[in-house]
Amino acid sequence: MRGRPNLYTDYRKETAIFSNLTQKFWFVLLVVFAFSLVLVASDYWILLLTTSFLIAVAAWGLNIVSGFAGQISLAHGVFVGVGTYTAAVLGGVSSSYVIGYELDMIIWLPLSGVMAGLLGLIIAPISVRLKGLNLGLVTLALVFIASHLFSNMKFITGGAGFGRKSAELVLLGFDFDNGLSVGGFILEKNQLIYLLALTICIFAGIGVKNLTRSKTGRAYSAIRDGDIAAEAIGINLFKFKSSAFALSSFYAGITGALMFSVSGGVEPGVFNLLYSITFIAIVIIGGGGTVLGPLFGALFFSLLPGAIQTLLHTFELAGQELSLSLGQIERIIFGLFIIFFIILEPRGLWGVWFRLRNYFKAWPFSY
Amino acid sequence: MIIFLQATAEGLALGAVYSLVAIGFVLIYKAMDVLSFAQPALAVVGAAFISALAVDRGIPFWIAFIIGVLLTAILSLVIERTFLRPMVGEPVFSVAILTIGIDILLRTVLDNWIGLNPRYLGDPFPSIGNFGSVNIGGVVLKYLEISAFFTAVIVIILLSIFFKKSKYGVAMRATSYDQEAALAQGIDVGKIFALVWFIAGLLASFAGFFITGGFNTLTQLSFISALRALPAVVIGGLDSIPGAVVGSLIIGLTQGYVAYYQINLESLVGFSLGSGFSFVAPYLIMFIILLIKPDGLFGTEEVERV
Repeated sequence: MRGRPNLYTDYRKETAIFSNLTQKFWFVLLVVFAFSLVLVASDYWILLLTTSFLIAVAAWGLNIVSGFAGQISLAHGVFVGVGTYTAAVLGGVSSSYVIGYELDMIIWLPLSGVMAGLLGLIIAPISVRLKGLNLGLVTLALVFIASHLFSNMKFITGGAGFGRKSAELVLLGFDFDNGLSVGGFILEKNQLIYLLALTICIFAGIGVKNLTRSKTGRAYSAIRDGDIAAEAIGINLFKFKSSAFALSSFYAGITGALMFSVSGGVEPGVFNLLYSITFIAIVIIGGGGTVLGPLFGALFFSLLPGAIQTLLHTFELAGQELSLSLGQIERIIFGLFIIFFIILEPRGLWGVWFRLRNYFKAWPFSY
Repeated sequence: MIIFLQATAEGLALGAVYSLVAIGFVLIYKAMDVLSFAQPALAVVGAAFISALAVDRGIPFWIAFIIGVLLTAILSLVIERTFLRPMVGEPVFSVAILTIGIDILLRTVLDNWIGLNPRYLGDPFPSIGNFGSVNIGGVVLKYLEISAFFTAVIVIILLSIFFKKSKYGVAMRATSYDQEAALAQGIDVGKIFALVWFIAGLLASFAGFFITGGFNTLTQLSFISALRALPAVVIGGLDSIPGAVVGSLIIGLTQGYVAYYQINLESLVGFSLGSGFSFVAPYLIMFIILLIKPDGLFGTEEVERV
């Protein structure tokens, strides 16, 4: 059957992670490329890519609950926050005003995911009671309640305006601060975090892909497309909505645990409404309900500052006095893209990619 | 007792301001099935226009006020025309996110304009003084709070007359009941959408003037105050104007009482509720009420079919 990639001879092949050789080839190539970037990319881009891989994990999480299972959650940033503070308490250094246990990453990384997942499980029953917009509004309330708690639980978070140091990156006794020399090549802390984030991102991505081809994933889609109908065909709404929330929060927690280790500290004011909305926007810009979409969205969102700065340098505007700061330009472009994608391409970047791919597949014919 | 009255008065004034934004929310939701997160930003836009005209340009306050309110309403109209008209009939949630995009745009531009220092809004009654207040039996009432309350009452009365008596008001009610049937009756639904957004813009800018906290200054935090109209709408039910007013009063009073009685409340529950709890209390109430009554206190229950 060589040369006929769209011919499936059994169901197992159709639902495989990579349904044909081309996909496998590109996946391996991209992974190798991403890993080798650590040797060539500058510190600035390494940092941006690290953030985008981590954000992609959280965005996948939101995609599970909103894109696949169709449950609107405006509180994704809260789960990221829970992950962050679990990691910071377990893996951080204690000081006069915050607690910290300086545990190993192998303990705090999974646990911060689990803690966020547990909170997700607690929230999940609400989604059985409330649907659609009302669910979104409840989670919105949750964002405000949680950010109030974050700013007031000073022994955990350091309090509003002060913050605390995030978890120490010590994996199985190896401290990331020391760097690692491999065959005469020295990997510094940032590069090590990059490799870690990339690895986690790959596993998370394969996890999501696996989810879509499992019974659970199909149940999620059924719930999204009509939850009364799903219940009628024997899907336990409570069970699957709970698992969707738990899984989504687990992803968010993992992201949260590592996200702020890059910058070294975290201030509770970060986890505001805009932070949660950012994730929704990333999923929408990338393309909700798809496996690759959130990754596209995360790359787009995190690489945007870099792209803007490169553009400013090319047009030699960087030194000039601009009326808007870099962060403000970013936010304006981000806001415009949210509007643009919702109106013109609801399938997001994934939809753009899908059309491009199909265009070139059939080229020079129109279909 | 005086503390109680003081808290009630401040709560009512706050509630009145919220109700202006909240009615805008409800009007838009009823007419278009759109929950517009851009409404709080529009309130601040209104305040910003007034401040820019009255203080920066030195135009007499009342002229600046009228121009500012009209400009905001026109901006609101433009937003509807450019961004929301193509989205008619799309899922509620994606439109809501779209309005968040608009909110991010407006907010970024405004934050840049407001800067770090508070912006002064101008003085409606130079002879009395902006920060002035009267003392009625120990209860201190700021003039701005009193005027906020009465403005809201007058606006609500005018609106209800408009809906009952005028041709366009009736057309708006018909549209909100059933868009297609209204269209079949010869109502220009597009014009109604425009009108709804215009009115919502007017209301938002009225609220924007008062939302600045009784000190008549605009800061980057004013958005967060204005957003508290959202729990008010949700409590009352997204599609009920009386609900929006009641919800706003509940939220306003809660905020007032919590601000004054937080210490008593803390001794009652036995742990510290944290600073600024009065700002979170509205969301807590919204959280609880939504769990008990998913469609709000006055909202129509949604019937779902497979």
